[in-house]
Amino acid sequence: MMKIEAIIQPSRFESVKDALREIGIEGMTVTEVRGHGRQKGHTEVYRGREYTVDLLPKIKLEMVLPDALVNRVVDTILKTAKTGKIGDGKIFLSRVEEAIRIRNEERGENAL
Amino acid sequence: MTTAARPSLNPGIPPAKNMQGSPTPLSVLGAQADTERQRIRQQFETGTSARETLRAQCELADRNVQQIFDEVLRVQSREPQGLCLLALGGYGRRMLFPYSDLDILFLLGNERIEQESRPLISEFSRTLWDIGFRVSSAGRTLEECKRIEEDNAEFHLALLDRRFLAGDAALFEKLDTKVLPASEKQARPFLLAQIHRLTRERLMRYGNTIFHLEPNVKESPGGMRDYQAAIWLRQIVDERKGIRNITAAEEELSAAAVDFLSAIRCFLHYSNGRNDNTLTYELQAAAAERGLGVGDGVARTPAEWMRQYFRHARTLNRQLLRYLEQKAPVPLTLRQRFFNAARTAKFEPGGDKFFAVRDGLLEVLDQPVLSDRAVTYSLFAEAARTGTPLSREAERSIGYILTHPELPPKNTEIPWATLREILSSDYPGVALRSMQRLGLLTEILPEFGMIDSLVVRDFYHRYTVDEHSLRTIEHLQELAEPPDERGAHFGPLWKTAERRDLLILTLLLHDVGKGMSVENHVTGGLTALASAAKRLNLSSEEKEEVHFLIEHHLDMSATVQRRDIFDPATVSAFAQSVTTLERLQRLCLLTYADIHSVNPEALTPWKAEMLWQLFVATSNHFSRTLDRDRLHAPDEGSLLERVQALAGGTTLEEIERFLEGFPRRYLAVHSAAEIAAHLALYQKLGTDPVQTEILATRHGFSLTLLAADRPALFATISGVLTGWGMNINKADAFANAAGVVLDTFHFADLHRTLELNPSEAERFRKSLADVVNGKAPLEPLLKSRESTGRGRAPKVTVETRINFDDASSAHSTLLEIVTQDHPGLLYEIGSALARLACNIEVALIDTEGHKAIDVFYLTAQEKKLTTQKQELLREVLQGTLA
Repeated sequence: MMKIEAIIQPSRFESVKDALREIGIEGMTVTEVRGHGRQKGHTEVYRGREYTVDLLPKIKLEMVLPDALVNRVVDTILKTAKTGKIGDGKIFLSRVEEAIRIRNEERGENAL
Repeated sequence: MTTAARPSLNPGIPPAKNMQGSPTPLSVLGAQADTERQRIRQQFETGTSARETLRAQCELADRNVQQIFDEVLRVQSREPQGLCLLALGGYGRRMLFPYSDLDILFLLGNERIEQESRPLISEFSRTLWDIGFRVSSAGRTLEECKRIEEDNAEFHLALLDRRFLAGDAALFEKLDTKVLPASEKQARPFLLAQIHRLTRERLMRYGNTIFHLEPNVKESPGGMRDYQAAIWLRQIVDERKGIRNITAAEEELSAAAVDFLSAIRCFLHYSNGRNDNTLTYELQAAAAERGLGVGDGVARTPAEWMRQYFRHARTLNRQLLRYLEQKAPVPLTLRQRFFNAARTAKFEPGGDKFFAVRDGLLEVLDQPVLSDRAVTYSLFAEAARTGTPLSREAERSIGYILTHPELPPKNTEIPWATLREILSSDYPGVALRSMQRLGLLTEILPEFGMIDSLVVRDFYHRYTVDEHSLRTIEHLQELAEPPDERGAHFGPLWKTAERRDLLILTLLLHDVGKGMSVENHVTGGLTALASAAKRLNLSSEEKEEVHFLIEHHLDMSATVQRRDIFDPATVSAFAQSVTTLERLQRLCLLTYADIHSVNPEALTPWKAEMLWQLFVATSNHFSRTLDRDRLHAPDEGSLLERVQALAGGTTLEEIERFLEGFPRRYLAVHSAAEIAAHLALYQKLGTDPVQTEILATRHGFSLTLLAADRPALFATISGVLTGWGMNINKADAFANAAGVVLDTFHFADLHRTLELNPSEAERFRKSLADVVNGKAPLEPLLKSRESTGRGRAPKVTVETRINFDDASSAHSTLLEIVTQDHPGLLYEIGSALARLACNIEVALIDTEGHKAIDVFYLTAQEKKLTTQKQELLREVLQGTLA
C-alpha cells in the first residue's frame, strides 16, 4: 500500500477530484493548506495597506491505495493538475505498513 | 439528568440470573415487559397517539418498578420505612419515551438507612436493567435534599418533576410538602440562573435556531427541552404568584406542539432502537409518508411535513424565549444599564411615545396604535437603526393585533422608502428576524414565503433555506464588529458599502428559487425579483442591480474555488463581468455572507482569505485601469436611445459627442436619467461656461459640475467646497474627448449651512461659478474657514502613503495617496498638483472612516510624469500632508 499526498492548486481541485472519480477513486482526505515551494508569494497594496501573500493557498489530497492503483492515480493527478506554470504543486509517495478499518477491524488492502 | 452522587449503577456488575427466593423468575418478568413493550409499539404504529403511548410506557415502568422494589424488600427482609422511590424528570412527568432512561431517586430517611440500603439499591437497579429498563438512579438522604448542589443544577431541576413511586409514602410527603418547598424557595434565584445558563448553552450549541435540516427533536431549539424549560420557569415563578401568564389559545398551540414532537420522538426511538432523537432525512421521509403526528394521517411530501414540524417547534421556542426574557435571573448590572441608556429609542413618532427601550429590548407602550401598520414599521425601522431587538412581549402584542383585527388595520402596504430604510440600516437582521417570526416578512415579500421552513436535502447546508437567508444578513451586520478573524477584512467593506438596501434585498431573494419548481434556483430568484420589484416600485436601476447580484451570486465563490485568482487574466475577466468597484463590494459581501451561512464551519479562514485576495486584486484592477477603457459612443446603441428618450429633442449625434471618450466607469456609475441630466447641463455650456447641479442625498449632498477643462479646476472646486465648510467624502473627475470635464463631488455639510438655510444653496452655486470662472478670488473664502482650524485631533492616525505607478496606464501616471482625512485635504492635494502643472485626467476619491484614499491619473504636457517630476511631487505632497 502507498500513501499519496498531492499538493495542488485550488483551482484544479474540482477537475482532479472528477478525474479520480472517473477511474474509481472515491475516498480521499482533502485539506485546505497554505505554503510555498519555489513559487514565492507577492505583496498586494490595497487602500494603503500592504498585504503580503507569502504562503499561497493550496489543496492537499491524501489517499492510501493498493500498489496496483498507484501509478494510474499519479498519472491522473499529473494530467489534471498540471497547468505548466510555477506553483502547480507536488506529489509525495510513501509506503504504508498497515491499514485498519475501525468499524470491523479489517486489515490490509481490504480496509482501504 | 446527571447525578453527581449516583451510587448504584456499576456497569461492571455481572447480570443477575434470578432474584433469590423471588416467586417471579427474572426471565418471566423480562419476557412480560418485552411483550408489553411490543404491544405498546404496535399500538403506536397503528395509530395510537403519542400521549397514550407515553402513558402506557410509564405505567409499564411503574408496575415493574413497584413489583421489583417489593420483591427486593421481601427477599432482603426489609420494611420500606425510611426508604422510598421517586420518579424524576420526564419519567416524573409521565412522559417516558420508549428508550429513555428511568430517572429514579432513592430517598433515604437518614445516613444509617443509606448505609443499610446499599445492597438493596444495587440489587433493585441491576434487576431493572436485566429486564430491559435503562435506570439512571441517584440516592439522597432527606437532609441532603435540603442542600443546594451548585455543581448539579440538573438534579434540582429534575426534582421539580418528582413523583412518588414506591416505599415510605410518609417520607415522600415530608420531602414534598415540607423539605423541598422550603429549599426550593431558597434555591429559586439559583435555579432561575441555572435554567438561563443551561438553556442558553444548549441553544448556542445549536446555533440559536430551530431551522436545522436534521434537527434533534429533544435538544435543538424548538425541541422538547424548550417545552420542559418553559414549564420549569412557569413552575418556579408564575405558579408561586398564582399568575397565568399564558392565554388559552397559547396553551392549545403548545399542547399540539408537544403532541406532535412526542409522536416524532416515539417514532425515532422505535426506528432507531435507541434513545436517538435526530430527525434524519431518511426518517423525515418515512414520517412524512405516514403523516406522523398530523391528525388526518395522510401522506405528505417531506418538505410539507417538515414545515409542520417547524411550525410546532417555533411555538415551543417562542414560548420559552418569552419566559426567559421575563424571568431575568439577576438584576441588571451597571454595564447593562449603560447599554440600555445608550440604546434608548431616539424618537417618538407623531409626538407620542409608542415604544421604549427596557432591558435592552424594545417594548410596546401603546398596543392599539399598532393597528396602524406605519407605526409597526417605524418600530422595526428603529430596531434596524439601533440594533435593539423587540422583546418577545412586544412581538406578542404585534402578533395579537395581526391575528385579531378588531381595530381596522391601516397603511398595510409598506412603501419602498420605509422598507429601504430598514434594509439599509446598520442592523437590518434585527428587524427582519422579528418580522419573519410574526409573518410580516412574507406579507410584504410573499416571494420569501416560498422558502419558509424549507428543507432542501444537502449535506453541506445545515439550515432551512429561509434560515440560511436571514443568517446571511446577520453575518453582515456582525461585521460592524467582526467576531473573528474571518470577518476582519470585510468589516470596512460593510461599513462603507453603498446601497446596502439592494444588497439585503438580494440576500432575501437569492435562494427563493429553491422553493420553486425550476431547474436552476437562480432563475427562480430572478422571477421572484420581477414580481417583488413591481410590487415595491423599484426603479429600473435598482431592479437591474438586484438582478445582477442574484444572477451572479455564485460567481465570486466559483472564481475563488475554480480559477487561479493570482492570474491577472482571471482578475481582468472577473472585473469585466462585475463592471464597478461599488458592485464588486456588494458582491464580495454577499459571497462572504452566503458561504458563512451554509454552516458554522463553511467559511474557513482559508476561504475568507482567498475571497479577500480576489476582492483586493479586482478592486486594484478597477482603480488601475480607469482610463484604459474609454467609451466609443456609437457602440452604445441602447443607452443612446434611452438617454435620447429622456433628453427629449436631442439628436443622437449630440449625445454621442457628449459621451465620446469618457472612461467606461462613467456609464457604470450613472443611470440613463443622470446622464440625460448631465447632457442638459452640457447643452447649456454655450450660455454659461460653468454648469452645476446640487442635490441632497441620503448622506449629504452631491455636486455635479461641467466646464471646459482648465488649469487647477479640480483644486479650485475642492477649495470652494472647503471654503464653504463642506467635507468631501467621494469624488469622480472625468473628461470626454472634447475636453469637457465632468466632476462629481459627494460631500457632508459640516455646519448644516445648506440644510438650515435653503436660500444659501443659490449663493453657494454662484460662489462656485464665480471662483471657477475667475470672477471671484478663492483666498477670502479659505481664509474665513481657516479660523475654524482642523478641529479636534483625529481618533485614529492614518500613516500617509504616496505611490506612483507608471505601468497600469498607457497614457498617465497613477498616483495613489492614502492619508488622514480632514476638511480641505482634497484642496491641498489638488493645489499641489496644479502648482507642479500636473493635469488630472481621471480622479477617484474615497474615504473610509478617517482614511482618505485618492487615486489620480496624471499627465504633464500630455505625457506620463517623468521620474524627476514624480519625486518632486512626492516631496511636495509629503510636506503638504505631514
